[in-house]
Amino acid sequence: MLFKDIRDYQILFLGLFLVVGIGTRDWTLRPELIGVLIATSLATQWILSLVISHWSLANNIDAPAATNDKGQITSLRSALITSLGLSLLLRADHWTTMAIAAASAIASKFLFKFGDKHFFNPGNFGIISALVLTSDAWVSPGQWGEEWWYALLFAGTGGMTLQRIGRWDTTAAFLGAYSLLEAIRNLWLGWTWDVYWHQLMSGSLLLFALFMITDPRSIPNSRIGRVVWAICIAGLTFILRNYFFVSTAVFWALFALAPLTILIDVLWLAPRFGWQEGDEGDEGAGEELLTQHS
Amino acid sequence: MKIFRLLTPLLLVIVAVLCFAPAAWAFCGFYVAKADTKLYNKSSQVVIARDGNRTVLTMANDFQGEVKDFAIVVPVPTLLKKEQVRVAKPQIIERLDAFSAPRLVEYFDPDPCAPVIIDRNLSILNNGGLGGAGGALSVNSDRSLGVTVEASFNVGEYDIVILSAKESGGLETWLRNNGYKIPQGAKQLLQPYIRSSMKFFVAKVNLDKFKQSGYEFLRPLQISYQSPKFMLPIRLGMINATTEQDLIVYILSPEGAAEITNYRTVKIPSNVNIPVYVKNEFNEFYKSLFQTAYTKEGKRVGFLEYARDMGSCDPCSADPLTPEELKEAGVFWLINNSSSNVPAFPNFGIPFVSSNVFISRLHIRYSRDTFPEDLIFLQTANRESFQGRYVLQYPFQGELKCQAGKEYKRSLPKRFEQEAQTLAKLTNWDIQDIRKKMKLSVGNLKYSLWESFLSWF
Repeated sequence: MLFKDIRDYQILFLGLFLVVGIGTRDWTLRPELIGVLIATSLATQWILSLVISHWSLANNIDAPAATNDKGQITSLRSALITSLGLSLLLRADHWTTMAIAAASAIASKFLFKFGDKHFFNPGNFGIISALVLTSDAWVSPGQWGEEWWYALLFAGTGGMTLQRIGRWDTTAAFLGAYSLLEAIRNLWLGWTWDVYWHQLMSGSLLLFALFMITDPRSIPNSRIGRVVWAICIAGLTFILRNYFFVSTAVFWALFALAPLTILIDVLWLAPRFGWQEGDEGDEGAGEELLTQHS
Repeated sequence: MKIFRLLTPLLLVIVAVLCFAPAAWAFCGFYVAKADTKLYNKSSQVVIARDGNRTVLTMANDFQGEVKDFAIVVPVPTLLKKEQVRVAKPQIIERLDAFSAPRLVEYFDPDPCAPVIIDRNLSILNNGGLGGAGGALSVNSDRSLGVTVEASFNVGEYDIVILSAKESGGLETWLRNNGYKIPQGAKQLLQPYIRSSMKFFVAKVNLDKFKQSGYEFLRPLQISYQSPKFMLPIRLGMINATTEQDLIVYILSPEGAAEITNYRTVKIPSNVNIPVYVKNEFNEFYKSLFQTAYTKEGKRVGFLEYARDMGSCDPCSADPLTPEELKEAGVFWLINNSSSNVPAFPNFGIPFVSSNVFISRLHIRYSRDTFPEDLIFLQTANRESFQGRYVLQYPFQGELKCQAGKEYKRSLPKRFEQEAQTLAKLTNWDIQDIRKKMKLSVGNLKYSLWESFLSWF
């Protein structure tokens, strides 16, 4: 049962990064804030699932799979992943900010839906809500440093997870497009190449590319759609970072372009993603297609 | 198996990246010598006061050579007018330094035989000032070189020229023609700044004005501008330096602590008990501590030495800066929001008392190969206080007659050994030397061999 679901791997890796980060990096990360994030995420998920199921029953609509026991557990897994991702990326001074981030992250899955699909990445939505709604949230892009073993750790484990989910194309398209744009800029400006490598060797960037924009539930279903979408995000990130000097550029880019998912899904029809083979899905019914890639 | 298949190409890519990354090559320039005097700026101090996009940058000057040889070129994000440039009081940097410098604190053990422990005598030692940084150049316009002299004026003892350039070769030629010793390779380094549409702030000393001013040293230059760029161009500063350079950045913000976005920001080791003899060699101690921490972190991090709301300090090693001094340091938001800056939306956490100025002291030791990219900063809402603080705990010196006193005395050798090991770990000093020195400094506490033997049980 354990590790049958790909999300167990994600929980394991994100948890590992958190432990490694707190253990070896000098983070302004407080254990009680992680606790608040996890508790709020799980509670919000649970409460909203209940509300939805009651509402569905009352309205005589077929209850979504999320309300049965198995569905409940899988969606709690998703909530845990979201809260771990937030713990890794978001920093705040007060616990209330973390609670707002976690609650809005999870609530976005229920509120911003098109058909059965939520189009905002929950973690990303949480980060942006905290940045916009509160005055004491921030993201520390430099916190991972640039040591290569971190790159290796991220790439290795992220790649493993991705291969199992089959959304590596998104990461490749994003990183490829972004590094190409930065390379062109670097060449034009005339910086030496170590400046370029320094820019790319950012742990936070990799974390984003491997774990955030690859969330299969909120990204376009077809491969061509994902590639186009990822390239757009890379382009917007590049512009925001280099011409508007936004240090949280990647998160804003993803936030701004997330609704494009709907449009892209209409343009390029493709089967939707389900978590497990033979699984009924955590919200939708019946799409168990695990897209296989070479 | 699948994992390995995927990991192998990844490993290959990473190895390839590591192997073919271009070798670091030495480079130079923040200061530009007017004469042949070799100018090395090894330690600079910069104050950045920033709220929103508005920035006030103060560059301290620790220039060691002859004043007439002094000149700097600083890339700035916008064109500066005369009103945006001023000369700041040199004391202001010293005040900030004294306020935020890593410090020793002394505690005296109370009499273990006395009933309650209250009287804690506390005194603070400051490690005194560090150096400063600053700089300047000369003027003439030549359109054919693509160089435009946007403004040329005099501020205090400095002659200032604001240049914009179309191409780095022209700028280099212009600077050479105007008598500045531009190091080899400056051209390549100026280009990225020109292409990112940055302007050049060029300052040199006006000797007549300098004599009139009556100052012995060059005063800090202060510029203010409006730009979303929150960065400090250190690459150009490496023109003059052959080795590692130290930079202390004091960032004043209405929000909270600042950090570096493109390098890691790490807190300097702090709050540890060290042997009391370090009081007499604190400067040596801190230098070694910094070097050890710096090496341990792979030389690629910036260190946070101090972070605190400037409205309070406990204990204070120097008086907090007065509103006038803060203004002198570039804080421009004091008047507007004197009442409160408590945000409108959901800050229903603990309300914090705030003076509206939060200082972060960042200490960056950089060299060409470890810091290839200019520093980019970020203001965060992190209001957690931090300081580099090292504790000297003096043992009680009086008569010990009671049982508790004997136990106390027996506990001391263990504590001293602990302190010695902490010191050795932090500074990389030889533990035997430390032990020897400790014996000398706590020599008036007499132990029989038997007593120290017993203390280990």
